[in-house]
Amino acid sequence: MERRDFIRGATAVTLPLALSGYSAKAMGLSPLLESLAVASAAADRYLVLIQLAGGNDGINTVIPLDQMSEYNRIRGNIALPENRVLKLNNATGLHPSMVGMKSLFDAGNLAVIQGVAYPNSNFSHFRSTDIWMSGADFNEYLSTGWAGRYLDSQFPNYPVGYPSTEMPDPLAIQISASPSLTLKGTNAPMGVNVQDPAAFLRLVQGSAVEGFDTAPNNDAGRQIAYIRQIQGQSETYASVIKNAYDKAKNLATYTPMGINSLADQLAIVARLIAGGLKTRVYLVTLGGFDTHALQVSLTDRTLGTHATLLARVSEGISSFQQDLKLNRIDNKVVGMTFSEFGRRPGSNISSGTDHGTSAPVFVFGSAIRGGVLNSNPSLTNLNGGNLQMQTDFRQVYASILKQWFATDNTEYRAILGKDYNTLPLIRTASTSANDTQTVMNATTLQLQNYPNPVSSTTTIEYVLPASSNVRLTIFDGLGSVITSLEEQQSSGMHRVAFNAESLAAGTYLYRLQTERGVASGKMIVAR
Amino acid sequence: MPLLDKYPAPLTAKAAEHLLRRTMFGASRADIAALTGRTIDQALDTLLRDQTAPAPPIDPTTGQTWVNDIIRSQNDGQLNNHMKSWWVGLMANQPISIMEKMTLFWHNHFASQWSVVNESRYMYKQHQTLRRNALGNFRTFVREIAIDPAMLRYLNGNRNVAGAPQENFARELQELFTIGKGPEISQGNYTTYTEDDVKAAARVLTGWTDINTSVTSSFRAAQHDTGNKQFSAAYQNTVIMGRTGANAGLDELNDLLNMIFRQNATSEYIVSKFYRFFVNSNITPTITNEVIKPLAKIFRDGNYEIKPVLRALFGSIHFFDNNIIGCMIKTPLDLTVGTVRQLQVRMPAATQAVFYYGFMRQLQGLSAQLQQDLLELPNVAGWQAYYQEPLFYQVWINTATMPARANYSNVVTNGWSVTDQASNQTQRYTFDSIAFLQQFPNPEDPIKVIDNLTQHFFAIDLTEAQKDQLLDKVLLPGLPEYEWTKEWSDFMATPNDTMKRNQIKTKLDNLVRYMMRLAEFQIN
Repeated sequence: MERRDFIRGATAVTLPLALSGYSAKAMGLSPLLESLAVASAAADRYLVLIQLAGGNDGINTVIPLDQMSEYNRIRGNIALPENRVLKLNNATGLHPSMVGMKSLFDAGNLAVIQGVAYPNSNFSHFRSTDIWMSGADFNEYLSTGWAGRYLDSQFPNYPVGYPSTEMPDPLAIQISASPSLTLKGTNAPMGVNVQDPAAFLRLVQGSAVEGFDTAPNNDAGRQIAYIRQIQGQSETYASVIKNAYDKAKNLATYTPMGINSLADQLAIVARLIAGGLKTRVYLVTLGGFDTHALQVSLTDRTLGTHATLLARVSEGISSFQQDLKLNRIDNKVVGMTFSEFGRRPGSNISSGTDHGTSAPVFVFGSAIRGGVLNSNPSLTNLNGGNLQMQTDFRQVYASILKQWFATDNTEYRAILGKDYNTLPLIRTASTSANDTQTVMNATTLQLQNYPNPVSSTTTIEYVLPASSNVRLTIFDGLGSVITSLEEQQSSGMHRVAFNAESLAAGTYLYRLQTERGVASGKMIVAR
Repeated sequence: MPLLDKYPAPLTAKAAEHLLRRTMFGASRADIAALTGRTIDQALDTLLRDQTAPAPPIDPTTGQTWVNDIIRSQNDGQLNNHMKSWWVGLMANQPISIMEKMTLFWHNHFASQWSVVNESRYMYKQHQTLRRNALGNFRTFVREIAIDPAMLRYLNGNRNVAGAPQENFARELQELFTIGKGPEISQGNYTTYTEDDVKAAARVLTGWTDINTSVTSSFRAAQHDTGNKQFSAAYQNTVIMGRTGANAGLDELNDLLNMIFRQNATSEYIVSKFYRFFVNSNITPTITNEVIKPLAKIFRDGNYEIKPVLRALFGSIHFFDNNIIGCMIKTPLDLTVGTVRQLQVRMPAATQAVFYYGFMRQLQGLSAQLQQDLLELPNVAGWQAYYQEPLFYQVWINTATMPARANYSNVVTNGWSVTDQASNQTQRYTFDSIAFLQQFPNPEDPIKVIDNLTQHFFAIDLTEAQKDQLLDKVLLPGLPEYEWTKEWSDFMATPNDTMKRNQIKTKLDNLVRYMMRLAEFQIN
């Protein structure tokens, strides 16, 4: 096995500028800013990772309707009847039990990425899971997770100095007992493992009483002090988690507790996000996908083990998305599923499927660009009886990192090591200038602001050659987002007023992102 | 006084406990008693004594071992779990011996992963090699590991052939297993060796492969690079003469190891690893000069025999220094296995294989959850706690693991349930806090209860104020001290009275739970 050390580049500049008394209302002029100031900054974007453990059978999850004769030939004993498949388009359909996710798809809130795998398959559950979680190459062994490295890049030195004013909440939360490699950073797991917020608080509370705040002045004493610091941190996190959980409600209906563990976990996540936690990454898991035998019911192939699992996924995710909508936080959350591998396209004689290679990944949320990405995997052009890879799993990570989390180039490199082609996953234009977009100069969009320098209010003006989804972001000199707006705008001239009264004197950057390209300008705040 | 001077006095109970906590998993009352009053040499004679090899792991559902199978089992993942349970069982039932901790040290040093090696028979074979050499000769040990079938798989030595050398093992052999990587003084020059030395060593090591049926290694002379191998100035420009024939592989391997073992850096690197694993992570210049270097000399002068170095280290006044006592953080296995031993939890007998393996699996499972899995190191560099600057042992402690460590106090006081799926029988294994307390003098005196239990629970002494808190706020909240004496006497008068027993037990368990949740409980 080979090791590779991720050498972290210059520590990412993530000092958030504390804006005393800043409020969207103070700007007065644009109702857009008012509604979006709370929603759009990268710091207010959350990712929910859903692990389908065991290796999900992709071919019976997303059915290649354009290859049904081959489909029926190679997996006759588990083939789903074509007329029961939920059609997404003429070529592709979902398993009959995925009614909820079909609705998400119809609403444009679900992307199906076909053929996702890692190059050079390894059919071991352990190894494949590690590869997916770490983002490693097949012959590379990383002891940190991809999301852990993302959090490392945003919150350097964690856990030292946390919780902080800027980040009072856990960086990541996993709804399970055992820390996952996905969330492992350089020094530590980057989050907390919670199964039940109330029980979790009881668990960590009361470890310190009077008299136990002193420690000897030697190496033992230093260890005790560190352990107490982490105990305190755990306790703080436990109470912010409990508070957020108590503050919010599940507004959607989930499968009743105790039946669908994925729904149970997602219901907790929804409440935590709705309760205002700034936790960036959540991880939930549903197991049981290792369907070597009897994955369908012998009497009705649309029923059985796999159908039950997919129904749980579908109901869990659709209730969750509905909950986010009703809580008005759906713009802040993107979710994705992953499984360590897909299964072989040909079924075995036990009405099951064996370990395979690529499989579809689902990405969902109100901010994503819905649709089916890539054609269906070919059932005839196989590699040793297995599907060909169409998308490297790290392309999905790269797209999320760049388009959703707006990582800059240094951060991105520290997380994934090299460049991967991104997929158009996020509906709005990316906030990352490094993404694969045309960089336009300011003249093309006639982007300017006046007056400049500014002491109180300035107007940012630009001309759109065509209607576009736009995102206008204002950064401070350190690259932190001050505010942003995003919306669909028609062609022609647009003016956005910006109130700079609460900003310190200095140089600020504003960036306009459109579907056709990006432009930016500088504004000087003078006092 | 030189730090390596021998610890002069007979061991006090506290000194014996410190020695036991570091060289074993936890210290039971009986272990402490056995070493108290002995000289350090007598204690080390016991701890360093050779041990007979344990019986191999079995499949507890069949009672049969699988280590001699000639093919990989379809259920190898299960066998891997059984082997983990087996190993934890050896730790939990260890005699007074450093053997179990030392075997774990070598597992961390010659790291491996079942998920990569992909076979329990290989992992077991390697484990036997670790155990056999744990207190033996380090040079012999490295020679065996270099051609160990699991290692050949893990670091691709089995794909290292003439014309297409695979450098993986050759690199880690130097960087992690023997000489250690020094500062990079120029491109590809790591002071102790260079990139060209990695390439040359890889050529020396060409031709080995593993044989699956017998789980052995084999040298294929035809795949061996027979040319001369030139090493850099870091190795005094040594040339290893290319050989041909069936003995070429071993002969050149010996030359390679002789060259590496001629360098002082090798002994210093290994001694530093002993120091960080057993003593302290903080290696100051004073420690380097007065502990590491003199021990390294003992290592070299003793032809890389391991015991003399350990004897000098554990027998030194430095090892018993106040700053050393309690300066480590319990590893997950120190916590899980150590506490069970320390508190004399009733465990299933090995003859009840299903329950025995099931119980040990629970200890192992929690250790893995706390980030110390057996047979599954995070990578070839081993557990981060032993190399990740500046945190070192603090790596074990974080917001994901700390709540689980706290929860172990509940596990211990509530007991363990193990179910035999086949017979659907469940057995409970518990910590009897009353019986435990009765081993100490004056259980009726609450002040003595606190004194005795805190002394046994913690690596360092608590302050009087802390002990007062435990007495007044935890054991007897809001009650006068004589209430304990009264309840205890009542209970002793009618020891079969369940209600009286439970009244005492509830209070004691609560104290135990509380003490286990203190930061002080996590240090070692």
